[in-house]
Amino acid sequence: MTVPFGHVLILAALLFAIGLGSVLARRTLIMILIGVEIMVSAAVLVLVAASAFWQQLDSQLFVLFLLTTTAAEVAIALALVVTLRRRTGTTDADAFSELRG
Amino acid sequence: MSGPELFALLPVLILAGGSIVWLMLGAFGLGYRTIVIGGVFSAATVALCAGLLPPATVEVTGLFGTGSYARFFTILWALAAALTLLLSLRYGANRHFGGGEYTALTLLAATGMALLSGATSLVGVFLGLELLSLAFYVLIAFNRDSAHSAEACIKYLVLGSVATAFLAFGIALIYAASGSFHLPEALAGVVSNGALHPLGLFGWLLVTVAVGFKTSLVPFHFWTPDVYQGAPAPVSGFLAAGSKGAVLAALVPLLAGFGPDWALLHPLVVGLTALTLIVGSLCALAQTNLKRMLAYSSIVQVGYLFIGFLAGNSGGFEAVVFYLVVYAVVTLGTFGVITSLSGSRAEVQDYDSLRGVGFRHPFRAATLTILLLSLAGIPATAGFIAKFGIFRAAIKGDFIGLTLLAVIASLVSLYYYLRPVLVMFTENNAEGNTLHPGNELEHAVLGVCLLATLLLGLYPGPLLDLIHGLF
Repeated sequence: MTVPFGHVLILAALLFAIGLGSVLARRTLIMILIGVEIMVSAAVLVLVAASAFWQQLDSQLFVLFLLTTTAAEVAIALALVVTLRRRTGTTDADAFSELRG
Repeated sequence: MSGPELFALLPVLILAGGSIVWLMLGAFGLGYRTIVIGGVFSAATVALCAGLLPPATVEVTGLFGTGSYARFFTILWALAAALTLLLSLRYGANRHFGGGEYTALTLLAATGMALLSGATSLVGVFLGLELLSLAFYVLIAFNRDSAHSAEACIKYLVLGSVATAFLAFGIALIYAASGSFHLPEALAGVVSNGALHPLGLFGWLLVTVAVGFKTSLVPFHFWTPDVYQGAPAPVSGFLAAGSKGAVLAALVPLLAGFGPDWALLHPLVVGLTALTLIVGSLCALAQTNLKRMLAYSSIVQVGYLFIGFLAGNSGGFEAVVFYLVVYAVVTLGTFGVITSLSGSRAEVQDYDSLRGVGFRHPFRAATLTILLLSLAGIPATAGFIAKFGIFRAAIKGDFIGLTLLAVIASLVSLYYYLRPVLVMFTENNAEGNTLHPGNELEHAVLGVCLLATLLLGLYPGPLLDLIHGLF
């Protein structure tokens, strides 16, 4: 038995909303980054389901690209979080507000 | 990938390969100056290659175009990277930048821009955009001694990765609706009987959010002033000219491919454009920091560019490409003046620190003045021709209201562009002369930007013909 495409889309939309909610509501940089990861997983889920729906492999290839670039992004983000933590002693996103106007 | 395809992609391969070579040489202890100058030479080689070697195929692996349009932007971004590196020579040496990393990341960002501008598939768009964003995340935070630099980076990174997630989800939905990543098929797949497929529509909305973020369209513009202020000045210039320009360059073939169906998204884009012009202008008026003012001004400039996109089918796309070239030259020049005036510690940002520059450093003050006037669109500068092209297309395309708004925004812009100029030329304070005298190289680079601005303003014919031939 295969899962209907519509159900996968609903699940993906929920995942995306949960991720976005985490980005907007949480103030710790680490939790914000995890929220972004959840949003990307929603995209991955749709791509894999669409691959089955259209009976094509190219969206699965895109998933590989997507996961690689996200990993690179997270690597940079975590390096920066470490630097900021050393400098200011906090990972609270609201603490970084020197630039404004 | 076949031989002809690799040959067609050669300029981009040299850019990427050069980036890796200079990174390695930096790790083996080669000096900062040597590597940065080497990077300038490899970027110049790329521009030459892209200009002289005719491509064997027009598309590579269904992801990236290598036709004349892609080649045109490869040359532009390679030259922009070369100018950025030249301007960073003293600025970076004063701040102990690592030569290998800095050169490698600048070339890598240029690679991303070249790929993004020539992308013919949604996967190509995503990969190009990620490559350039990842390079810029690091470049913005490159000045490790500056708290502002790190703060600017974390703001750009958090919002940028959210934009990436939007883009990925949008692309996934478009693929779900159309069954193809390749642009013509993906565009045709989401439209049926003159209406958008609901999944496709939602996908395009998400992509619009991501594009809006990358091009700092209001209401996705909040990062722009902070990032431009916090990033090292040469990087800010490259970011403003290239990152934004490459995304907009990728939009041109995409929206042109939409054909008449592009009108379905018009109401949304008209609203965003109007909002961008109004909010950008109002915020720019209040600024007393040159880099922040330029950030808000760049938001307004994107508003003008989107008018060009709206009027695309009546000549707007060609006007947009011309505008992008002019904007790249002028922006690199303006941030170049800031770089050149900055000493070994702080950057020149506040209007107060610009006092009397016109008397002590007349060449750079005059350059900054002419470049700012070009941004405002004063006749005899390139900015005038660029803006004129956009407005003409907009009137032809029947966007009278938006054109009127844009003309008012241009008039208002004179106020905030002339404010730093007045400070430079009217108030002379003898004390507090901390500005750097600059060196011959910087003056020469600024001279090139100035000359290009005036030349394109007085004699734009050849470039306009060249751009006309790209479509």
